[in-house]
Amino acid sequence: MNQTLETTPAQRDAVTDADVTLIVGLEVHVQLDTQSKLFCNCSTAYGADANTQTCPVCTGMPGTLPVINERALELAIKTGLALNCKIANYTKWDRKNYFYPDLPKGYQISQFDKPICGEGHLTISDAKAAFETRDIQIERAHLEEDAGKSIHDETGAKKPSKIDLNRTGTPLLEIVTKPDLRSAEEAKAFLTELKLILTYIDVSDCNMQEGSLRCDGNVNLHINVDGQKIATPIVEVKNLNSFRAAERAIAYEAARQLRVWKKDGLGIADAPKQTRGWDDANQKTTKSREKEDAADYRYFPDPDLIAVETTDQEINAIAATIEYLPAKLRTELMEDYSLEAYDTEVIVSQGIGVVKYYKTVADFLTKSASGLKSPGKTASNWVAQEVLRYLNEQNCEIGDYPVSGGQLGELLGRIAKGDFDQTRGKDVLAQMLENGANLEAAVEKLGIKTVDAGEVEALCQQIIEENQGVIEQIKGGKVQAVGSLIGKAKKLNPNINPNLVKETILKQIGI
Amino acid sequence: MSNLAQNVAKLARIDLPDAKAEAVQENLEKVLNYVQQLEAVELPDDIEPFFGAIESVNAIRVDELQPSYPREEILSNAPDSDGQFYKVPSVFDE
Repeated sequence: MNQTLETTPAQRDAVTDADVTLIVGLEVHVQLDTQSKLFCNCSTAYGADANTQTCPVCTGMPGTLPVINERALELAIKTGLALNCKIANYTKWDRKNYFYPDLPKGYQISQFDKPICGEGHLTISDAKAAFETRDIQIERAHLEEDAGKSIHDETGAKKPSKIDLNRTGTPLLEIVTKPDLRSAEEAKAFLTELKLILTYIDVSDCNMQEGSLRCDGNVNLHINVDGQKIATPIVEVKNLNSFRAAERAIAYEAARQLRVWKKDGLGIADAPKQTRGWDDANQKTTKSREKEDAADYRYFPDPDLIAVETTDQEINAIAATIEYLPAKLRTELMEDYSLEAYDTEVIVSQGIGVVKYYKTVADFLTKSASGLKSPGKTASNWVAQEVLRYLNEQNCEIGDYPVSGGQLGELLGRIAKGDFDQTRGKDVLAQMLENGANLEAAVEKLGIKTVDAGEVEALCQQIIEENQGVIEQIKGGKVQAVGSLIGKAKKLNPNINPNLVKETILKQIGI
Repeated sequence: MSNLAQNVAKLARIDLPDAKAEAVQENLEKVLNYVQQLEAVELPDDIEPFFGAIESVNAIRVDELQPSYPREEILSNAPDSDGQFYKVPSVFDE
């Protein structure tokens, strides 16, 4: 890497997208799902009246002492394990010193050189490239306390800012990746997978609107100029409040940096690290109003806190509480249920509740010897289309779905047996959703009766006699004309199996 | 270390008049030089850093709620509030 390479405007103009590599690292703050704060017993609940969840410890009164929340440690270790991190047997606390009105102590308790979670990795897969996987390295994950919330006067009249310290001291796990991400899409894929893992292991509600999951990105470019690599100045992009915002901000920043570099040619050694904020309304990054001085946090060990030691046995006990991880479930669904990657993703991305539901349906179908070629695929079609559509429309969770996995399995078994067709099956499901989940009651209510073989024969005979014109067409080679006869058969008896009608008619006319 | 005093003053948000800066600088250097003597001590390579004077570890507590302080009482410690929020001078006033 040549950091001071001088380039001419002509050289810079000649650079194309193929010469540019985007380099992105992410810092993700996750609020851990504890009852009380990291160092005191105040509530972490969101949305309370301002300054009603504070005490002398979290407001930084002199003479108070912080005491570590055991649950926050457990959740941090659990997250580290799910991200394949090396968990520290010895971890300690440091003060990160800076002044801001929403930081009452004048420092944030964080972890500097002995973080609770060391190096790890998270595997992302690219839906657009046949689900090819790639490991994104994680640098570390450390515990720290959140700051309060400032409400600034936006009128420009320089009125006082208002401070709410309810959030102060809430436990955060800051997850830092290595600069391993190579596109805005990859950054989004990383965040999506991270959130899914956090949801599966149940360490955070990951509610981005409430700030339970926050993301900053470090972005720059490596540009190839006549065989030499030049790095552009690193920009930290803040305020990435949604995954879409993260993706767009990184893409915007990449284009902006290339544009600026083509104009001024400044490299990483020529300009300090800059902070920019994502402006979602205007879809661009803007220079933050922060001071230009390089941050000097003067980290030092917090004398109010002592170190935490965790034995391998304790770490293993926490590892045993991780029941489900999305990656493992994907493998299971693909191998044991013969699902394609796409169908697997639809199910797994919905969370453990939907995965369990799906497995119940598929297992029922498999065990009931339905004769289906791929009971896994049939179950996935119905769960992905019928069940998820209902959850979406009703805005509810799988736990609220009125039809159990076993009941849906039973319904699909009846369709497989030929008792009624798919379309009729959907009517039955609608009936079960509306009037209680009993399958037999729904079938009866719709007046569905199994049509016996003799009845089918007689009905087909009647249709053949009444539709000689169509029969001649079929005999003349236009077999698809049988469709209109199936329609007529269904009018005569809505419970008749259309496939059976087709087979019988063709047999009776000798085709 | 010529800007040491001014730099520390800036980080601490203290206004340090030039007239006093020189004396502060001198004192700070004396303190630092005194502590710096420790660097002369030769240590074996495998020695772990020492982070605090207390040898015990794991002072932790159970995650349970206790009532917070009444807002009125907490806010009464601040120079200015509106009964709900702390009020501080506009951050971007400088």
